[in-house]
Amino acid sequence: MHDETVSQVIFGLDPTWVAVSLLLIVYVVIMAEKFNRAVLSLLGAGMMILCGVITQEQAVAGIDFNTIGLLTGMMVIVAISQKTGMFQFVAIKSAKMVKGDPWGILLVLSVVTAVFSAFLDNVTTVLLIAPVTLLITDALNIKPYPFLFAQILASNIGGTATLIGDPPNIMIGSAAGLSFYDFMVNTAPITPLIMFVTMIFIWFMFGKNLHATEEAKALVMQFNEHDAITNVPLLKKSLFVLFAVISGFTVAHSFHLQPASIAMFGAALLLVLQTWGQDLQSKDHAYEGIMAEVEWTTIFFFVGLFIIVTGVEHTGVIEMLAHKTLELTGGDFNATAGAILWVSAIASALIDNIPFVATMIPLIENMAPTFGGTEYLTPLWWALALGACLGGNGSLIGASANLIVAGFAQRAGHPIAFLQFMKHAFGLMLMSIAIAHVYLYFRYLS
Amino acid sequence: MTKDVISCLQDQKVSDIIDILNENSFRMIPVVDENNKILGALNTINLLSKLVPEYIVKGYLKSIPYAPDMGLLRKHYKQILDIEVAELMDRNPTIVHENESLLSVTAELITHDRFEYAMVANKDNELVGIIASSDVLRCLGKFTPEELFDA
Repeated sequence: MHDETVSQVIFGLDPTWVAVSLLLIVYVVIMAEKFNRAVLSLLGAGMMILCGVITQEQAVAGIDFNTIGLLTGMMVIVAISQKTGMFQFVAIKSAKMVKGDPWGILLVLSVVTAVFSAFLDNVTTVLLIAPVTLLITDALNIKPYPFLFAQILASNIGGTATLIGDPPNIMIGSAAGLSFYDFMVNTAPITPLIMFVTMIFIWFMFGKNLHATEEAKALVMQFNEHDAITNVPLLKKSLFVLFAVISGFTVAHSFHLQPASIAMFGAALLLVLQTWGQDLQSKDHAYEGIMAEVEWTTIFFFVGLFIIVTGVEHTGVIEMLAHKTLELTGGDFNATAGAILWVSAIASALIDNIPFVATMIPLIENMAPTFGGTEYLTPLWWALALGACLGGNGSLIGASANLIVAGFAQRAGHPIAFLQFMKHAFGLMLMSIAIAHVYLYFRYLS
Repeated sequence: MTKDVISCLQDQKVSDIIDILNENSFRMIPVVDENNKILGALNTINLLSKLVPEYIVKGYLKSIPYAPDMGLLRKHYKQILDIEVAELMDRNPTIVHENESLLSVTAELITHDRFEYAMVANKDNELVGIIASSDVLRCLGKFTPEELFDA
């Protein structure tokens, strides 16, 4: 599909080359990690418009505000909720439940990470869990690497389970009209099995060598989880809003509501509740504090990215890639689903899964005519979701959460080397994709 | 302002500096070169931030009321004793010039690091003294109400 406006491209250059070059340059420079990704993404988006590939109206129309709204709303809710200390409470209570035993702590904190990651985004989850984990491993006087390794994997596995667990799922759900409930019944069922098998392997790799002295375990038992809760009224309000928002997601489809509206409304509600009864100055101060914690870098990165992909889409390149993909798989649905799953997994391990998924979405949409219409594409969406989310476990650069944890480990004096992680993780990731493929086959393709 | 200031050199050991701070109940010591030019400052907060894990210093764990004493402080304390001052000092401390007004000095104390002390330098950046926030208050206490208006 070519647009009239595409012919106005700067210097009379071929719009396809301009758009694809911009996309590739932006992706490569982002991966080099020398510049802020939001800045690069916005520059690329600006260039798409200035070079005439798309107009501003087309650019704005291409921004998925449902994804933006959902991310922003959840960031606000989590920024307020974490002030209560409830995440530290859960982490410490879990560690004490297993009496300070190192393997027990690794296991429960990984499960806690996976569950949180299903309902909050992965970066937020690891930002909450990793510091407490480092404190606990300092108390146990053992190296934190096995714990952080397991939590990285758990955050990506947990994030696969729900619509809101991982940005790729938010983008896919938004584009394909798949609801929170749809993800719960399609991607969530396989994640406990993947988690279980992964933990077994981690036990063999690290667990059986984890030991701590009785004094160290006793020190962990001295942590007082009740002191972690810093604001009980705010805790009640946060839990109320979290519960209401998750429930809202579950029934959203029946009320013709989209997740962004629910998340943004929940955020606004919690912003009002958090300072209820306080004077205006305190309210303003609290509001500014929370807004400063929203990851605007991530939000603007998404805005720019959507515009860049819209530009590429307008040139027809993605439609052409879709046709090429179908030629390679012979138009066979099962083969296409398998290809999407494995290619997404490998790609997500090596490049940032968000730009990859942003590019794959229109590619899969363009396959609709071949397979009889958009309603038949659903298994392909699950293949993309599973591949893109689980693939993030393949390497340290596979997902943002991985890099955050690696950053912590470095600052704690226990750096995680890229190859060391990949040596342990890549095989586990392939195994999880194999399990996902078997699941996809028996559930949708046979 | 205090003019007779104890300072240190950047190649001295932290253990010596801690002794000086403790013996004199100081909270800060200027770090100078052989020509008395200011290179930085070492204060008690700098030192304490080396005793707690980075993830706390960087604000990833803002408060830990639930954590017992874990021997971390003692362990890191032993580790920093043999380090040279140059490794730990603040290279961007609060410095004011000897000819600055009281208003300017007060603004600097409040905005630079919200630390109570500033080093006073001459035009060649040589250390001539230290001024504390309490010195400012004491100075203002000496003025009459009419003189305060012009201060």
